[in-house]
Amino acid sequence: MSGSSDKRAHGTMTGRDAFMNNIASRLGRRTPSQTPPERPFKGVPDFYRERTMTREEHIEQFMANWTALSGKVLIVEEAEAPAAVAAYIRQICEEHGITRITRWEHEQLIALGFDEPVRAAGIEIVPWREDGADAIDPGLSPSGETGLWQQRERLLRAAETCRLGIVWPDYAVSSTSSLALFSSGGKGRSVSLLTDALLAVFHADQLVMRIGEAFEHFKRQYPDAADMPASLNLITGPSRSADIENDLTIGIHGPGKVHAVIIK
Amino acid sequence: MSGHGNTAVDERIGTGLKSRTRHALSDEFLRKAVAFTTDKLKSGRLQAMDTFGDWEAWRERGKAIRSHTIDNLDYYLGQFADNVVKGGGHVYFAKEGKDAVRTFMDIAERNKAKLVAKGKSMVSEEIHLNQELEKKGIDAIETDLGEYILQLARETPSHLIIPAIHKNKQQIAKLFTDASGEHFEPETKVLAEYARKKLRNYFLEADIGLTGCNFGVAESGSITLVSNEGNGRMVSTLPKVHVVVMGMERLVPTFEDLEVVLNLLARSATGQKLTTYTSILTGPKASGDLDGPEELHVIILDNGRSEQLGDPIFQEVLNCIRCAACLNVCPVYRHVGGHTYGSVYSGPIGAVLTPLLQQDMKEAGTLAYASSLCGACYEACPVKIPLHDMLVHLRHRKVKMKLTALPERVAFKSYQTIFGNITLYKLATKSAYYMQKPLVREGMIKSGPPPLSGWTQSRFMPMLPKQSFRDKWGALQQELARKRKEGGKA
Repeated sequence: MSGSSDKRAHGTMTGRDAFMNNIASRLGRRTPSQTPPERPFKGVPDFYRERTMTREEHIEQFMANWTALSGKVLIVEEAEAPAAVAAYIRQICEEHGITRITRWEHEQLIALGFDEPVRAAGIEIVPWREDGADAIDPGLSPSGETGLWQQRERLLRAAETCRLGIVWPDYAVSSTSSLALFSSGGKGRSVSLLTDALLAVFHADQLVMRIGEAFEHFKRQYPDAADMPASLNLITGPSRSADIENDLTIGIHGPGKVHAVIIK
Repeated sequence: MSGHGNTAVDERIGTGLKSRTRHALSDEFLRKAVAFTTDKLKSGRLQAMDTFGDWEAWRERGKAIRSHTIDNLDYYLGQFADNVVKGGGHVYFAKEGKDAVRTFMDIAERNKAKLVAKGKSMVSEEIHLNQELEKKGIDAIETDLGEYILQLARETPSHLIIPAIHKNKQQIAKLFTDASGEHFEPETKVLAEYARKKLRNYFLEADIGLTGCNFGVAESGSITLVSNEGNGRMVSTLPKVHVVVMGMERLVPTFEDLEVVLNLLARSATGQKLTTYTSILTGPKASGDLDGPEELHVIILDNGRSEQLGDPIFQEVLNCIRCAACLNVCPVYRHVGGHTYGSVYSGPIGAVLTPLLQQDMKEAGTLAYASSLCGACYEACPVKIPLHDMLVHLRHRKVKMKLTALPERVAFKSYQTIFGNITLYKLATKSAYYMQKPLVREGMIKSGPPPLSGWTQSRFMPMLPKQSFRDKWGALQQELARKRKEGGKA
């Protein structure tokens, strides 16, 4: 499909024919099938798809699920959002002694205008954009100057030293309390991954019921696979592990503290 | 090495089964830990099913989607591979484990890799990739906490979801102390904190991130990874090269279908509504992205899987979504744990999958006997794989191939002869009554020679009565008729 807006050069394929011919022959076909098979059904059972909820119920559901996973939620009115979000960030930082944070370079977050009041509290901010870490000293890598990490992008290294990451999810799923994050330039994957704490800010009208609805929006936005964001992450609560004697441990690799602000 | 070339066939899977079982049964901590955790996982699953509406409808849908995908695997795998390439990824098809290992080595060499950070991948265990990397002097670090513990202990996983289920805090503290030179108290928080710091360094310094693939999405060529810890995200985000090793059957056709299997997997595995992190990765980093891998390589592995395609009995084993629900409910697994199976895949699914993938009925086929055939695995399976039926079919296959022990074959041959002839049958039951006499104490057989001892070492066996049911039947029949008549009058 030339002429489409391919963001990436095509990859390569090795060893396909013998492998696929064998599969086809095991399935009783002479050559691998090229026609889409008939699909009498697709996706979730109807009763699950057909459930509906009011906006208020969505918020309640999200809150109940998110807090059950040890997450915290703040609900604010549109008008008071800028002041409330800035105050909330300062509060989280104070609580955990955080002095450096990172955030998506996202127009909705920028519009909230919290950079200035947060910086005023002595907190450094690393916005996820190419020059975002120019004024920041990321320090040395774990393996010192010789380490591979030392040669990586300054922005990435700086983000790794931040202890709070702030994102504006594309959708939030109420039935599971999941955040759906589509990656792109200003919407880095590291921001929701490398820090100790995560804060997601979003509008109540971004709430959907099922993860499948987030997928539908994703597909509608990017109908061609070649244009899809490299990553769609669903984040459902804090990083956790039960690998030591089945003892629930929070914050094992990803953020252990998760916060959400829902703007009504 | 057998002719079909699996990277490492454990020749002792079958012969060693009994001694491994004895060993596991005498390990008090192991038995308690496995029972405790499997109980917890099981009750989590039951709760999650409760809040999910019609669970049976979900299972049916899961089964239908998986069966449809496997029935049309040639189409969907082709579509998937085309889309991976379109998204900028490189695809390699590997017929056998050693082909996948070689492909990985090529990628590692091209990138002059010294350190590989691994997400949890059962397939890489299946092809024994770590051992091969070690030979080449490449460090491969397991980053799932449980797998990391096992790597320090130089052991293999004993559960699909909680790999170090058999290790206690004291043992883990000792492993960490030995590895680091620092002293660690056996406290979960302390141990986890150390692992977080230690493993973070590996994420940052690794040349290559290696993961498995929970589900590939055919319509987009996306790789779906789920993890609770976030290590799957780390190794697929930070290193410049991301390599995926996946079984060729790990596909769903569309995002709509992905929703179903993600729900089934989380709820069946741990009882969560959704695993903490679900990453759907399409190609390497896009232009304009400021993080993410620069290269994406997808190695698609057959390694015995295609042999099951078109098989009327065993094809369905490819429907498995690796949730481990069958392990948690299996009375055998719950007593002996995963290592007893002597294979990467344990529990009921392992007992079926291992002989099939290794195409080895002689040794691996013995695992089909590590089951009580109670069917709990089938009841728990979110995609309704009839594992208990498959276990019977595997036993049948083993018998047909004359791979069972000679005394067993002779015993069943005589059994057939005796039960097929009424005179012999009568003679046998009569003489059995007299032959048991030296063993009977107070109406019970309390101990006996093998194979009877297999029963009597843990419970008594009631003695055979003098008159068999068959002998009594004439009198019983008259009594029944009389009672029926009386009942009719009343």
